[in-house]
Amino acid sequence: MKPSFPKQFIANTLALFSVWLVLSGKYDNFHLVLGFMASCGVAWLNTGFPNSPFHNFPWVRVVLYSPWLFLRIVESSLHLTKLILNPSLPIKPTLITYRSHLKHRGAIVLLGNSVTLTPGTITVEVNGNTFLVHAIDDTAAKDLTTGRMERKLAWVFQEDTNH
Amino acid sequence: MVVLAIGLILVGVFFLVVAAIGTLRLPDVFSRSHAVSLTDSLGAICVLGGLALYQGFGINMLKILVVLVLLILLNPVIAHATIRAAYRAGLKPQTKEDP
Repeated sequence: MKPSFPKQFIANTLALFSVWLVLSGKYDNFHLVLGFMASCGVAWLNTGFPNSPFHNFPWVRVVLYSPWLFLRIVESSLHLTKLILNPSLPIKPTLITYRSHLKHRGAIVLLGNSVTLTPGTITVEVNGNTFLVHAIDDTAAKDLTTGRMERKLAWVFQEDTNH
Repeated sequence: MVVLAIGLILVGVFFLVVAAIGTLRLPDVFSRSHAVSLTDSLGAICVLGGLALYQGFGINMLKILVVLVLLILLNPVIAHATIRAAYRAGLKPQTKEDP
């Protein structure tokens, strides 16, 4: 369901204004009013675009997903560190084509971003829902090739991947 | 608190050094980008997290956390743009079979 214009406008204004509060650090009347006016203006210009990838974006579950991603980042960072510091440099770079079943455009963006953020794998090209991924060795690519990361994202966006 | 912060910063510096070594050692632009993404992920998270702890709770800590979130959101985009440009320019990644 598409949120109505005023609701989205208020949400955008509040988000922008909270960023203003954090970045400015000055809480006298002049700066507060200036910041509020600027937030309203920017939110007014940016609200109501059709086909925004943020329609029905599950913010809460994305936040719940991030600790898992963080653990994966730590794990693969340690793996990559071992590879780099190993004198024989046992890397085995490969290009993997991966076809995803995710439908939401936000989910595809998030999958590509997660793959790139994890050291050892990087998204080279995305075409529709086909990913071209460069991996430094098979262990680094395991999360993607076994579909583990995609299943997590399917849970985030409440989609069904079993077809 | 300060000891924890300094420890985190040192861990981050270690990962930054490893990333620099990796950038020099790895063979081609694709694998080098992996080493660079090590900087973005653990290096930057540890260093900025350590700085945030060192500042203590307050407006500066929030600012550092905003920088951290922006870094996490934007670095994959930049890495992906670089690698896609390299791929489209016709660079082929080295594989183990043909060194």
